[in-house]
Amino acid sequence: MRQDPRAFVRPRRFIAFGIAMLVVFTALTARLYDLEIVHGDYYRDLAEQNRILRLPVTAERGGIVDRNGYVLARNVPGFAVSVIPVDLPRPREQELALRLASLLNFPSDAVADQIRTQRVRNPYEPVRISTAPVPREIAIGISERAELFPGVRVDPESIRLYADGTLYAPLIGYTGPITQDEFEKLKDAGYLADDDIGRTGIESVYEQYLRGTYGWREIERDAAQREIKTLALQQPGVGDTVVLTIDDRLQKLLDAELRLGVEEDRFTQAVGVAMNPQNGDILAMVSIPGYDNNMFARGITSKEIAALNADDRHPLVNKAIGDIYPAGSTFKMVTGLSALSEGTATRDTQVNVTAMSFSVSGTPFFDWRAHGPLTFVTGFAHSSDIYFYTLAAGTPFAPNVRGVGPEAIAKYGKMLGFGAPTGIDLPGEAAGIMPSPEWKLENKNEPWTIGNTYQEAIGQGFVAVTPMQLLNAYASVANGGTLWQPHLLKQVIDSQGTVVAKPAPQMIRKLDMTQENLRLLRESARRVVTIGHAYMPNAKLPIAGKTGTAEFGAATGKDGAGRNKLGFHNWFVSFLPQADNTDPTAQIAMVIFTYDSSKSLCENCFNPAVGMTQRILEAYVLGGNK
Amino acid sequence: MTLPRAATPLHDRPAASHWTQLDPMLLIVTVLLVGYGLVMTYSTTAETRTFTGDPMQFVLRGALWAAVGFLVMAGVALFDYAWLGTFAPVLYAITLGLLFVVLQIGTSSLGAQRSVNIAGLSFQFSEVAKILMIVVLAKYFADHRDRIGSPLVIGFGLVLLAPAVFLVYRQPDLGTSLVFIAIFFGIAFLAGARVWQLTALAAIAGAALPLVWSLLKDYQRGRLGAFLDPYADPQGAGWNIIQSLIAVGSGGPTGKGLTAGTQSPLGYLPIAESDFVFAGLAEDLGFAGAVILFALYIVLLVAALRVAFRARDPFGLLIGGGVATMLLFQILVNVGMAISLMPVTGIPLPFISHGGSSLVSICFALGVLQSVSMRREPDGP
Repeated sequence: MRQDPRAFVRPRRFIAFGIAMLVVFTALTARLYDLEIVHGDYYRDLAEQNRILRLPVTAERGGIVDRNGYVLARNVPGFAVSVIPVDLPRPREQELALRLASLLNFPSDAVADQIRTQRVRNPYEPVRISTAPVPREIAIGISERAELFPGVRVDPESIRLYADGTLYAPLIGYTGPITQDEFEKLKDAGYLADDDIGRTGIESVYEQYLRGTYGWREIERDAAQREIKTLALQQPGVGDTVVLTIDDRLQKLLDAELRLGVEEDRFTQAVGVAMNPQNGDILAMVSIPGYDNNMFARGITSKEIAALNADDRHPLVNKAIGDIYPAGSTFKMVTGLSALSEGTATRDTQVNVTAMSFSVSGTPFFDWRAHGPLTFVTGFAHSSDIYFYTLAAGTPFAPNVRGVGPEAIAKYGKMLGFGAPTGIDLPGEAAGIMPSPEWKLENKNEPWTIGNTYQEAIGQGFVAVTPMQLLNAYASVANGGTLWQPHLLKQVIDSQGTVVAKPAPQMIRKLDMTQENLRLLRESARRVVTIGHAYMPNAKLPIAGKTGTAEFGAATGKDGAGRNKLGFHNWFVSFLPQADNTDPTAQIAMVIFTYDSSKSLCENCFNPAVGMTQRILEAYVLGGNK
Repeated sequence: MTLPRAATPLHDRPAASHWTQLDPMLLIVTVLLVGYGLVMTYSTTAETRTFTGDPMQFVLRGALWAAVGFLVMAGVALFDYAWLGTFAPVLYAITLGLLFVVLQIGTSSLGAQRSVNIAGLSFQFSEVAKILMIVVLAKYFADHRDRIGSPLVIGFGLVLLAPAVFLVYRQPDLGTSLVFIAIFFGIAFLAGARVWQLTALAAIAGAALPLVWSLLKDYQRGRLGAFLDPYADPQGAGWNIIQSLIAVGSGGPTGKGLTAGTQSPLGYLPIAESDFVFAGLAEDLGFAGAVILFALYIVLLVAALRVAFRARDPFGLLIGGGVATMLLFQILVNVGMAISLMPVTGIPLPFISHGGSSLVSICFALGVLQSVSMRREPDGP
């Protein structure tokens, strides 16, 4: 049998080969179908994420102005210096690091390290060298001599500039880099890891308005993260302008007086706050010593921060709200209003102060002189301690007068706002202490004594207040019985000038006191100035007020800085009625607090706050409200 | 009944009469695929966003190579492929010589195929070596098909194969050495080797995998590891795989359009005009573009197999089978790599990957196939 000449062709093997082919292409097609048809959208998104990067465009922070539009905080252009490693030849790295370091005042090792690290990480991405905005001259110097600065990039960046930095720092505060924790909380709100945020003061409280709306820029980037082109741009929205209730003119008058007192060493620390008693507008708020918040804006050095922390006068604390002091005789208003409101005293209640002191269980209690017979008005005007001891707890000088007792004083003290924060729109407010028998048992684990009541009656002992609380309490008396929440925000306006927010004055409470008693208090306070403790020579305005003094510290000796260890807190809290000296229409109330532990302390000197108040109010009210 | 012409292989008929038996389907699909390749070269390289210089330079170079390829194809088709059989031992020596030269003086880039630079052009000798190896193995199995059942025949075939595989592997080019092995299996299978012997051989190779693993270079192990879990190191070993999947998937049903893809021009897709060209194609032209490519490949393979099936002698048949095997395997591995069905190995995708050596080698192989077709028994009256 003859062999088939084409026996070498094996059809079944060809069929098998064909089947293998079909399997291969079926598998590839099935997989492609899954990738492109079933999951196409998913991968399309991934490709877009690869390619498109949305970069935030920061918004210019809003300004802060006083009630008349005087600019307190604004932005001025500064510059950021960065290096793009890929544009910097490696051999010139050391040389450039040295040059930049000397220009920016950094150690050159640190600069070189930054560049090297970035070269490894992503050489196409600029690494920012300057930590704080660089002034214009340096930026221009770098740009003009580009051949000396290979790979260096200069980008505009804003610096916050505070006009009168030290004057306003305690209330405006400052902005600073966001912390890791804050960033975690705020990143959904559009904050960036290297963002600045209001750290304290108005900058912090009204961050939401000031920050503005960040825009974005969508860029196309290649695999090396190089920017290829801008695909879309959303312009940022400038932050809103925060208008404060502050009147810069009054702020500067107050500051000038207080600063002069510190410079002349009449006292070492001082606080002044002025407000409108009719609505709680804060017109001025000064705390000395302060600090220049521009130091924080341009990046504070460790040396500067160490100096601030080393100052035992705590310049970083806004003492108008952040520290508490004994109220001294200013507190007699509370004792008096308690007795009047409870009916244990009237304007005619008479105490015959025949001696300068008396003893209870062997403890002596003093007055500053033997006043003779006093009624409510004269007792308050001459600031007789014994008169108010009598109203508080009874004394041998007036056996028929029943003391109103510590519970009632605590009740009316709290009604007037003591012992609780006022709720002013600033961070770091202290609550103060409004003591009561219950409070003492709880906090000191001791029963209340009559001596405690006497001390409390004249604002000493456990009583502790912030200057703000004291001012607000007097303001509520001055306006006829409304305790307003003090506030610094007048309104918020956007970049077009439209009012975005204008909070109505918030009332804390109406005082549960009669108009007659409040009027008596106003009359008594006016008498303090006309016949009493705070006599003002050639007074041009019907100022009413109350002085207060409290000793603190050790009785004798000098501290390391040469200051007297014995010091006095001096208070003068005042208000300015309009017509008949007792009407409830005062437009301004002010407290001045000085902390006298100066080297030249004069124990018997006149309370310095009184004269300052007269000068400031006369200059402010009579000098024209421009 | 006439004596089969196969008995006198060196006695060729006048050339003019052969052209009528040229395989038109094979020729047309070749032209279409070369054209498709040029389009893809244009799409993946004509990018003005990141590159400077003439955006058409790659396309022009590709067209030039295509012209060379067609000349080579025509030239090869002119000659009776039997001459190749005659000089098979010489070709074998040239194969090993080329691979040895590459190993000695070749330059490699990023683990891709090594190339030799001559007169400013870089040649990938292993592309040529693959085709020559097909001829050598086809000749060997054609000559020994009577005793194909003997393990000795398979064994000696392996001995022929081994030095080439070893030299390519040392380049190191794991992908191409696998192509050599695939060619061996394909030719042996169509020559009628016992299936159990081939299976046993594959089983032995499988059993030797741990040994192979230990011989692999670190980067090769990394690629295999990344294939199994690309997200273990998405910025490193897994990067190519992930970016390739993104490119392919984002193409969707009809693609983003020519040159409109973003993955390759922006550099996310590495070696986008060669190893990962399929990912670029799938991104630009989508599922539809891929299916059209597959259809062209299927036509090409069917045409090649038909040429083999109708060949006048076993040598011609096995050349056709070898070329078909090589093409199918390269398609599987290259496309599979782009869609994460296969580990990453640098094998070019026939016609589509930009590269003169690959294109000219394939044209050479297809020229041989046309020669086989032209010299088959004349079709019936």
